Parts: sequence; C-alpha cells; structure tokens
Amino acid sequence: MAFAFKKNRPIKTGPQAENIRPRSLLLNKTPLSTLNKFGLAAVILLPLFISPGAGAQNNTLIDRLEKAATLIRDKRIDEAERQLNSILKAAPKEPQALNLLGTIRASQGRLAEAEALFTRAISIDDKLVGAHMNLAYLYLLKGAPEKTIDELKRVLSLDANNTEALYKLSRLLLSHDRVDECIDFIEKSPQAEAVALLIVLGDAYLRKGDADRAEAKYLQAVVRQPAAADALLGLAQVSRMKEDVVGAQGYLSRAKGLAGNSPDLIYRFAMTALRIGFYDEARSSLEEAIKLWPGEPAYFLALGATWLKKPDLIEAEQAFRRALQLQPGSPQGQMYLGYTLLKQKKLAEARELLEKSLKSDPNIPESYYYLGLIAQEQNEDARAVEILETAARKFPSFANARVALGSAYMKLRNYPRAKEELELAVKLNPDEPKAHYNLAMLYARLKDPKRAQEQMRIVERLKNSAGQEKETDALTPSPPNPL
Amino acid sequence: MAISVKRGATGLPLLITLALGLPLAFGSQRAPGRVKPAVTFEEVHAKESGINWAHTNARSPEHYLPETVGAGCAFFDYDNDGWMDIYLVNSGASDFFTPPAPLRNALYRNNRDGTFTDVTDKAGVVGGTFGMGAAAADYDGDGWVDLYVTSYGRNILYRNNGNATFTDVTGKAGVGVPGWSTCAVWFDYDNDGRLDLFVSSFVHYDKSQYVLCPPDAQGRRNYCVPRFFKPRPSRLFRNDGDGTFSDVSRETGILNYPGKSFGAVATDVNNDGLMDLFVANDTMPNFLLINRGGKGFEDVGLAAGVAYGDNGEARSGMGVDAADYDGDGWQDLFVANIDHEFFSLYHNGKDLTFADKPGEIAPATQLLSGWGLRFMDYDNDGDPDLFLVNGHPEDTVEMRSPRVKYKEPLLLFENSGAAFRNVSAQSGAVFGRSFSGRGMAVGDYDNDGDLDVLASNNGEAPVLLRNSGGNRNNWLGLQLVPTRSNPAAAGATITWQAGGVRRTRLRTSGGSYLASHDPREVLGLGAAPKLDGVEIRWPSGKVDRLSNLPLNTYIKVVEGEGVSRGGAATAK
Repeated sequence: MAFAFKKNRPIKTGPQAENIRPRSLLLNKTPLSTLNKFGLAAVILLPLFISPGAGAQNNTLIDRLEKAATLIRDKRIDEAERQLNSILKAAPKEPQALNLLGTIRASQGRLAEAEALFTRAISIDDKLVGAHMNLAYLYLLKGAPEKTIDELKRVLSLDANNTEALYKLSRLLLSHDRVDECIDFIEKSPQAEAVALLIVLGDAYLRKGDADRAEAKYLQAVVRQPAAADALLGLAQVSRMKEDVVGAQGYLSRAKGLAGNSPDLIYRFAMTALRIGFYDEARSSLEEAIKLWPGEPAYFLALGATWLKKPDLIEAEQAFRRALQLQPGSPQGQMYLGYTLLKQKKLAEARELLEKSLKSDPNIPESYYYLGLIAQEQNEDARAVEILETAARKFPSFANARVALGSAYMKLRNYPRAKEELELAVKLNPDEPKAHYNLAMLYARLKDPKRAQEQMRIVERLKNSAGQEKETDALTPSPPNPL
Repeated sequence: MAISVKRGATGLPLLITLALGLPLAFGSQRAPGRVKPAVTFEEVHAKESGINWAHTNARSPEHYLPETVGAGCAFFDYDNDGWMDIYLVNSGASDFFTPPAPLRNALYRNNRDGTFTDVTDKAGVVGGTFGMGAAAADYDGDGWVDLYVTSYGRNILYRNNGNATFTDVTGKAGVGVPGWSTCAVWFDYDNDGRLDLFVSSFVHYDKSQYVLCPPDAQGRRNYCVPRFFKPRPSRLFRNDGDGTFSDVSRETGILNYPGKSFGAVATDVNNDGLMDLFVANDTMPNFLLINRGGKGFEDVGLAAGVAYGDNGEARSGMGVDAADYDGDGWQDLFVANIDHEFFSLYHNGKDLTFADKPGEIAPATQLLSGWGLRFMDYDNDGDPDLFLVNGHPEDTVEMRSPRVKYKEPLLLFENSGAAFRNVSAQSGAVFGRSFSGRGMAVGDYDNDGDLDVLASNNGEAPVLLRNSGGNRNNWLGLQLVPTRSNPAAAGATITWQAGGVRRTRLRTSGGSYLASHDPREVLGLGAAPKLDGVEIRWPSGKVDRLSNLPLNTYIKVVEGEGVSRGGAATAK
C-alpha cells in the first residue's frame, strides 16, 4: 500500500525508495512539524498488522481497521476515532485498534495518552511490530532516544528483515556518535547489502575518518544503484577528505544532476557542499530549494549557515529570522540567530534569543557557550563563569565551553583555573585555534614566553591549514543535520 | 603677530602660579546634571575655506598598494600667530608612478576669518615624494613648529626657519628612513626633555610586487592584502639636542619587532611616567611596546590582549588612539580594523592587561574600515568622545562584497560615562555622506573653543568640519610651553576641577592615522560656571597649579612659571 503522506510537498520519502534517504527520524534535529513526522510513522506501519488468511469475522475486523487507517491517512480523524472506538467497544483488547488510536493521540500532541495506548497494545501482543515502531517514534518525540533505540532493537528481534527499523536504528546510533555499534549492527544484518544501509555504513566510516572504507561502501551502493544520490554525496566528501577537489566537484555535480526539482535532494546536496567547503554551491542550491519549497525552515537555517561561512552576518541574520518566522520558538533557530547577533555584537537581542533557546532545549551546548560569551562581553565575568561551568558540567567534552571558561577565569585573574581549563580544552580539541590563543596569552602573562610562542605557532598552523575557514569565527555552528 | 592679551572671564589680568599647592577639592568623577548641547559638525566647503587642493592617489590598473593608503593631514601653527594652519600630504613621483604634472603637498595659512591661503611654495614644503603622513612638533625647541613628512620612498624633516619658511634638514638630522613609512610620532621616550621620533614602517614593497596578487576572473587587479608582503621594523630616533638624531632602533629593541605598521600612539599605559607605544599592524599582531626605564621597549601585546582578535587572528589594524575614557586614571586604547573585523576599545585592567569592550561601537563599525580617529571632547562636557574616519582600501570591494562600500561614512560616538553612544545621525548632514577617508586631524581652527576636524581622503579633496555648538559648554584652552620638559609636553598630565567634578587628561602623542593635531588642550567644563583649578604635571616632574582662571578663552601656561602674560589667540 503506497500512502501519499505529504500531498502538498513534492518529495518522496520512505525506505522503499532506496535512492532517497528517509528523513523522518531525528525529530530533534530536523525541524519538520511534529504532526507530519508522526503521521508518516503511523501510515507506513499500517500494512504491518494486516494479516492475510484471516476468517470472515476477522476479515470484517480487518476491513474496519483498514477503513480506520484510510480515514487517518485522509485526515478524517473524527471518523477514524469513531470507527476505532466502535471496534474497541466490541473488543477492548484489540491491539491493532489500540495502536491506531495511539497514532491519532500522538498526532493530536497527546503524547502521554498515545504512549499508554501503544504500551497497552504491546502488553496484549508483544509481537506487534507496528506498535513497537510507533512507540519508537513516540520516544523520539519525547526526547528519549535511548528508549527509541531499545524499541527499534525489539522490532529487529521480531523482524530481522525490517529494513526500515534497521535503517532508522543505524541512523540514530550514528547521530548519537555510537559509530561502532552502528557499523556492527549493519554488518551483522542480512540486509547489509541494501543500498540505503551501504550508504549509512559509508557515512559511519566517514565519521570515523576511514576514507577508504567509506569510499568502498559508497561505491558499492553506486554500483548497485547508479542514481544513489546520497552515495555520490558521500563520495564527494571522501574526495574532499583526500584533498581531491576535482573529484569532489565531479561527484557533487553528478548528485546535483539527480536532484531534479526535488527540494529535499537539492537540500541534501547543499548540505554536503556546505560540509566540504563549497559554500557558493551550497548557497545557490539552497536558494533553489527555497524557491521550490519556501516553507521549509531547515532550508533557511542551512542558508544562514552558508552566509556565516561567507561571512555575511547580515544575510545570515535574515535567513535565520526567516527560519524562525516559519518555525517560531525553534530552539535551534534561536541559537543560530542568537549566535549571528552575537557575532554582530548585538548583544541584548542575542542574549534574549539564546536564553529562550536554552529554556526550550537545555541540551544545545552552543547556547550555553554563546551566553557565556555574551556575559563576558557585557562585563559580567562572574555570570559568564557560572554559565560556562554549567556547560562544562553538562557537556564535559565540549571544548569551546572550556576555552571560554579559561578566558573568563583569565579576566578574573584566576590564572591557575584558567590554565586548567585551557589545557583541558586543547586536549579535547587540539585543532581549536582559540584555545591555543588563549593559552598563549595566559603563558605570556605567566612570563613563559617560550610556551606562549609555541602556542601561537600552533594557532598560525591551524589557521593556515584551515584555508577559507581562517576568516570565520572559530565556532561557526554546524550546519543543520540533514537527517 | 597678533596675540591677544589673555583676560579672564571676569576681566582680571592673569595669572598666578600657586607653587605652594592648589586647594583643589577634588570630588566625584561624574558631574551631576550633565548638559547635552546639540553639537553638529558642518562641512566647510572649498569655496568658503579656500582650500582647493585635492589628493591624487595615482591609481593605476596595476593597483600598486601605496596608492590606496594615503594620505594624511595636520593642524599646526607654523607661523606662531595662534591660529591653526593646515598641511595636506599628496602622492608624488615614485618607482611606480610618474605624475603627468608635478604634484605637491599643501600648506594653508589660516587667515583668522575662516579662510585659508595656500603658502606652500613660499614656505618650501612642497614635498615631492609619494607622501603618506605628517607629524608636527618643535623638535629643536626653538619655539617654531617643525614638520616631518613620511613617504613611500623618502621621508622629509622640514625645519621651521621662524620666518614662514622651512628647510629640508632630513639628511643633516639623520632621520631619512628608506622604504615605506606611515605614521610618525614625536615623543620623549627617555625623558631627557627632547623630542625623539618614532616612525612606523609598513611592508617591504617595490613596484615589482604588485604581481603577487593575480587578477580576478574578469582580469582586474585589486590591491593586495598586506599578508603577501614581508614586514619591516619601525624606527626610533633619539634627539641628540644639536639638530641631529641617532638611530636607536637596535639598542631600544625596536628592531626586534618587524611589523606592518600603520597607526601609532605614544601614551603611558602603566602609569610609570614613561611613554609607551601602541602600534597597529595590518595582518599582523599589534604591538604594545612598554618603555623599560627609558632605555628600551618590550612588546607585551600578546599578554596584554591587544595584539590579536578574540580568536587569535591578526587583524588589519590601521588607526589608533589612547585616552582614559572612563576616568579611572588609566589609559585605554582604541584600534580600527578593516570591515568584518570590528574595531576594538581596549579597557585598561591596570595590570598591563586589557579587555575589549567596544559596546555600541562594534555593531556600528561591522562593515567599515577605520583609519583616522581621535578621542576628543567635541561637546566640552569634559570627557573624551570618539570621532572616526572610514573608507575601504579596495576600490573594487563592492563587486565582491556588496554590503561593504568603498566610500564610508564618518562616525561620532559620545561618551556617556563608561560607554560610547553613536550620535552620528544627529550630529550633522555630513555624517550622511561617504568618503574615502584616511587621515584625520583635530584642532580648533577658528579658535572658538570647540574642536573641529580635518579629514583627508584618498583621491579626493579633504573635508574640513566646523564644530557648531561645542562651545556652548564652558571651556578653557591651554597652550603648554615647556621649559624643562620636551617641547610638545608629551606625557604631561592635566587635571582640572569644575562643578565638583575632577578630570584628568594625559597628553598623548601621535595617534589617529598619518595625522598631527592641534597641540593645544581644550578643557571641557560642561555647564560649570567656574573652573576651580588646574594642575599640570609636566614630564620633567614639575607641577604647576593654577587657580582664578578665566573661562572660554585660551591661555598660555609656561612650565614652572604658570600662566603667561602673553596669552594665546581666541576668537572674538
């Protein structure tokens, strides 16, 4: 059964279209609306509970469930709910009806009720794959990715050939830096040769910095499916990693040729171009995607990121403001705009936005970092230390917080603490020039010119090797995750 | 020479040095009920001023770098009549440029009525080099202000003959610096009472080097970023007191710091009574050269936090200045950079560390490139405000960066206590115009008690701006006449009290970009109806305390003698 989920949008999603990477799982990273995300999950899973060969009475039940599913698909929610209530009145423990009703509650934002319904369905029939999948999505919505992972693993234990679950699980593991686990899962799976999974494997190896293996997986995917745009984009990244600019351009160009009028593909192309430093290509592609689909905030976020790289802070500001118009209250959008305003030293508005971002999502480390920087700029050094200490506690491996903390302690003339933080920062991220610069300044103040000069030499080396990046801020936010 | 005899506001003859100490009841640092008169700057057009000269930048298809960085200007009183004259620097023949007709610098004599007369030829200060900046001071202490002109090629020291003419004494004095010089600063680094000379050096350059920057896709050449060129050390010349100088760059450590230096200002950042140097470098870290006992200099820019931007990136430092903007008794620093680098206002942490606190200045200058600049009390409320002259060095910048303009607006920031407020929009129509600004000199050319501005533009006529309304607040102008200290009184500290507010100003030297300022000090009193007292701490250590001072006039103060009976000029 092929359900046209997003009628108003010219893209195609779902694991059945292997050349296109499904984009629905990481809701906290992708700014599509919650309703659409959840609707996708519910509709895709409908076929799972239709068991062939049932009796006449069962046929009637299946017909009624199918009808309910169709009504949900058509957004005739009240009618669907009446249908399901009618089924449940007669059979209160009908797990598939409970599951479907759960999807309705989820789409209404009544997540607790939805969770209760899915859980009840599973307690009645633990092998109901659809309910596990829906619960997996629900946990993601509730910001509990670990529970999502557990549910997806349960799905795979019930149905090892469930490509959708395997794909989502591997992507989720990858996005949570569980790279080895992701690789292990895919390589042990009977589906390991599926194009979509080969691409995830390529991405995982790329993340590990293993360009050769990544290249092998992407090439395997391209051999099996020459129009696998994401594999070509991966190959472009591999080429860039190998400093083969011409090769990177070639793969990018092939991928762009496949994008056609699909804003989603164009967007993914742009994200790759942005990641490998082809900022002008990224920007023009994003502008193209925006023309095709002007209502997608993620495109504006990415566009803003390309302007940050230019750098043109005013254009970046405009793009981020547009993203926030489309998705008011987006913590990521607020963070980006806050950062851009901070870079323009428009501190009051930047602070307001970043505080809002932090309130909505306390798990964005950059928001703390930027707020700490603003506090420093506003001569509130003690407050800066407080914010940055929190960031360092919450995100112990976030090197930038350590740099800023070191800098704040330096301003407070607490040189021992500054030294501690800055030395930790360079251990966490030896490629961060700002950390080395602050350390150089500190050593100079501590009358250790030799070490100061050593640190400045590192700064110079890093800036020279960063090429175009050297003109931009040390911490430009990462582009939005294309998942 | 028409020098008016100074009389106080009450008409009493002046004045007395209170060698036994001035009973200054120094109180709080901030005036209650500050008065904010509407002050504007009005452009004085050439037809009104008589200044018809325009700068020739020698722009060529090859885009040789010296074409775009000049030139400077100066306010100085070459004929000692008490009125500021004007000197303007031009391009000239060089290894890459042969002018189709001879080019010349310009000396304009102040006619004391708002107009000027070109006396260049008569005075003998034509120049003829590919000029950069000018620095005026009485280096030989004969009472007549001399002039040092920096160039791409050969610098010139013009000695004032005291008869409205000058003589080129560069060779004899030993201050000819080969290569490319930018700013020059007269100051007394060893406190021996003589004016020494610091000369900023820009990069190693000759005409063959324009090829380092390839043409763009359309075949056009642009001005090379100085990153492409090698740095050169600046020079320090010690005044030997006999009309000659010794190059002490090596023994004072200056040679240890090759740079790509533009602006330089002499000030005392650690309050040890010795003048330090803050030097802006382009695409290299700035130098903060601390004067070690009058014997040598040590760069502490990195430790001080003034060398680099926030991320450890060397920026394009151009204009600089120093002043105690927040009245805490310590000199703060300012440096202007190129677009997107932001300008820095470095607050002195009193332990040779600085924190960059530009406040409202930062967003206002995001897209600008700053050159001439000066802390100046334009409204005579007593605290230093900030005037900025801007312009992008690349004439083609708009093709690659449409938000950045080649010609840029002037900016004025009013000191509101501990921060600066952008008041450009309400300070005159000229702030709505754009210029290829470079040099900027500050002086009261009409002797009305408020500070006017002269901005020199690359490839254009200069802009003379008359301050209108700054003298609605009360003021007192001082012409300092050292006897034991260096003739510029560089390093003197002036403290004054009025209306219960005490203020202090260190007399810095140099600053801005390629420019030289009116040497007089105008003390702003706000609305205070009387001046309680003035204390001058001279570089020699001598302290003069003055009381019963007049308002709204210029007086001459002689070191160790107090107010001179022969005063200085004031407009009627």
